[in-house]
Amino acid sequence: MIGYIFKRLGLAAIITVLAVTLLFLIIHMIPGDPITTMLGPRATPELRAALEERMGLDKPLPIQIVLFFTNMLRGDLGTDVFSGRAVTAIVFGQLPYTLALIFVSITWAAILGITLGCYSAVNRNSLGDRLAGILSVSVIAVPAFVVSLYSLLLFAVKLKWFPAIGAGEPGNLPDQIWHLVLPSLAIGLSWVGYIARLVRASMLEVLGEGHIRTARAFGLPKSWITYKYALRLAILPTVTVIGVGMGFLLSAAVFTEIVFSRPGLGKLVIDSITTRNYPVVMGSVLFSTLIFVASTTLADIINALLDPRTRKGS
Amino acid sequence: MKKNNIEWTTTGIDRRHFLKGASTVALSTAAVGMPQFANAAGNVLKTRSYADIRSMDPAFSQGVVDEEIQGAIYNKLIQFKPGSEWGWQLDAAASIEQADDTHINFALRDDMGFTNGFGAMTAEDVKYSFERIIDEKLESTNKPDMSALDHVEVTGERTGTIVLKNAFQPLWSITLPYITGNIISKKAFEQAGGKIETKPVASSGPYMHKSWEPKQKTTLVPNPDWKGEAAAFDEIQIFHIDDEKAAEIAYEAGQLDFTRVSLGSVERLKANLPANSTLAEFPSLFYVWVGMNLDNPKLKNIKLRQAIQAAIDVPSIMAASYFGAAEPSTGIIAPGLSGHRDQSLTGIKANLEKAKKLMAESGESNVSLKISVLNKSVNVTTAQIIQANLAAIGVTVEVDLHEGATFWGLGEDKTLELVLNRYSMTPDPYYATSWFITEQAGVWNWERFANAEFDKIHKDAQSESDLVKRDAMYQRAQDLMEESGAYKFITHEATPNVYRNTIVPALRPDGLPLYRYFKKD
Repeated sequence: MIGYIFKRLGLAAIITVLAVTLLFLIIHMIPGDPITTMLGPRATPELRAALEERMGLDKPLPIQIVLFFTNMLRGDLGTDVFSGRAVTAIVFGQLPYTLALIFVSITWAAILGITLGCYSAVNRNSLGDRLAGILSVSVIAVPAFVVSLYSLLLFAVKLKWFPAIGAGEPGNLPDQIWHLVLPSLAIGLSWVGYIARLVRASMLEVLGEGHIRTARAFGLPKSWITYKYALRLAILPTVTVIGVGMGFLLSAAVFTEIVFSRPGLGKLVIDSITTRNYPVVMGSVLFSTLIFVASTTLADIINALLDPRTRKGS
Repeated sequence: MKKNNIEWTTTGIDRRHFLKGASTVALSTAAVGMPQFANAAGNVLKTRSYADIRSMDPAFSQGVVDEEIQGAIYNKLIQFKPGSEWGWQLDAAASIEQADDTHINFALRDDMGFTNGFGAMTAEDVKYSFERIIDEKLESTNKPDMSALDHVEVTGERTGTIVLKNAFQPLWSITLPYITGNIISKKAFEQAGGKIETKPVASSGPYMHKSWEPKQKTTLVPNPDWKGEAAAFDEIQIFHIDDEKAAEIAYEAGQLDFTRVSLGSVERLKANLPANSTLAEFPSLFYVWVGMNLDNPKLKNIKLRQAIQAAIDVPSIMAASYFGAAEPSTGIIAPGLSGHRDQSLTGIKANLEKAKKLMAESGESNVSLKISVLNKSVNVTTAQIIQANLAAIGVTVEVDLHEGATFWGLGEDKTLELVLNRYSMTPDPYYATSWFITEQAGVWNWERFANAEFDKIHKDAQSESDLVKRDAMYQRAQDLMEESGAYKFITHEATPNVYRNTIVPALRPDGLPLYRYFKKD
């Protein structure tokens, strides 16, 4: 198992380096002059030259990439040219908001989705199963931005139950949780349906397997068979999907952060790309990539723990 | 509102707070104690800026977003006067007078000081604040607004003379009452290494900086050392909300007391204004125009350019793109400012007959042009109307959309053809003409308009003290722009604000907030 974990971590490191290099190249290839964008109409030739030097833009692209990785290993991601703040501090300031949003969204979606999926599989073709099916497909079909806007209009504007903007007062956990309700509802809702359908299909497959029939023949309790034997196997594809889903939730978070005016990595990436604030773009992209790679790697490791066949197969 | 008050006083907790507490308990066992309510009633002004702050250093702040905060926490010799007409009033200065074209004497009030123990405000602080902006080593991005400054002479502890290199009229409308006029503490800044980032080191205004949560909000609280009229609010929370629609929803949800709204929402809000609110519309200083690149061979023919000027129907653009909430413009200088023209040379309505005649005279046929546009819905609609207008005279127009950073780099593109552009403005005409001088060609003068008379007017009008003459000079400058055939002026847009009737906002004539003067009703 330890060998498998090391192998996965090594692969994760290679993926991160490749992805970040690719993104570095793409960002520098897109048109738009960062100096003009940053300095605005007051840019003098002297200021332009000074800023170019400070951003390292006067160096060839391969050197810039090497410098980025060398500095990254020292924990230095450069400074934001507008405010002069360290990029690391900026990214770490925004990261918790996005992580909290993603974590809460996927957690509630997984709890509800797995419960619904199990219920549907155990009560196959019942009225409850059919209703859960309709509900699941319905929520899958509704995009996150539609949920965002309607939930805002209903729960924030009309009913005034939840706040419409912000992430809550720093240091005030209840207030921060309160501000998380609508955004996490918006991006987690479609995942409830997706996970429920996936768990139902996996459960039905596993419930039809020989060892489950044997367990039934031995007279084991139904709940024991369902949750101890069947769900453990049926959950495997769901774990993988949740791992990959974290990455998709990152992109959904961008829109949600804008609609709800929440701070976060997604909003930071958008703002910094729009202004061609390269150091901040790269810092944010690096951490987004790390989240994605870490979540998929973690999903693989959990899969291997739950099912020894996975690690042997690899 | 009444119902809410009754509910509040009767039960002590409303549905929102009840659900908040219940959800907190349910969602987090880690929550400590009883839920605390962030939006508790209190003497708090909640407002919105359209972007996050960039710098709290007047030498590096980048426009209104930073200045809205700096204007409340720093003092200037003079401040903009709230109201419908541009003007200034004394702030940190007890008196200020122009001794001659290049000398301005001032005396500071004796009750001005800085927080964090940095002592009284002195003439040395004024000298330091102004001279650092023109210091080559500092590389201040706001240096052009102080460009006429030679030095500040300190004549006493609280008295001094601003010495200019040449007469400079914008001193009274931009330099002193806007960003560069903020007076900072010499001691505090020197201790901080000569410049600061986003955290002010000492405040002197009625409010002081409490906190900044990046991408979220800035909070100001009253300055306990302030000796002037007491600050009206216990806290001002300025939320940094980029999206106007998100800000409108936040207002309707009761989370903001004051915000600018989109022009597209004006009609809806007029018909269905949230309770206890006021919608106020202000003329803006921004200017929007269609530019034509004079260096592009496709647009060398002046008759073609004049035909385009005549074919564009501005009232249609006002109706479709601005929902009738903005007025057509006559130039780059807005009403209320010196140099504003009552009428443009080419008119506002399309004159198809004239346009077709000019096309015929141009001898051009099968003309196909590209209009470069920033990717915002208002611009796309405007470009589509222009496309339809020009189709009527046989000119095919392709709309070329660009995102922000790409668009703002187009000035260097020599192949640029038509461009729909929009510049910000400060309340002095010098700021508007400065982008269209020959020296700016290919930088911010995207039309590559080059006119010696225009350049001379721009230079001379800066120091013209006869206001009637100055007004005529800037009118002539806009005539020259229009006569070149390179410009069709569209609008100055508008600033619609919505606010609760429990506050009395203090606004500049263009609708931008001066938080230090906001009051409660």
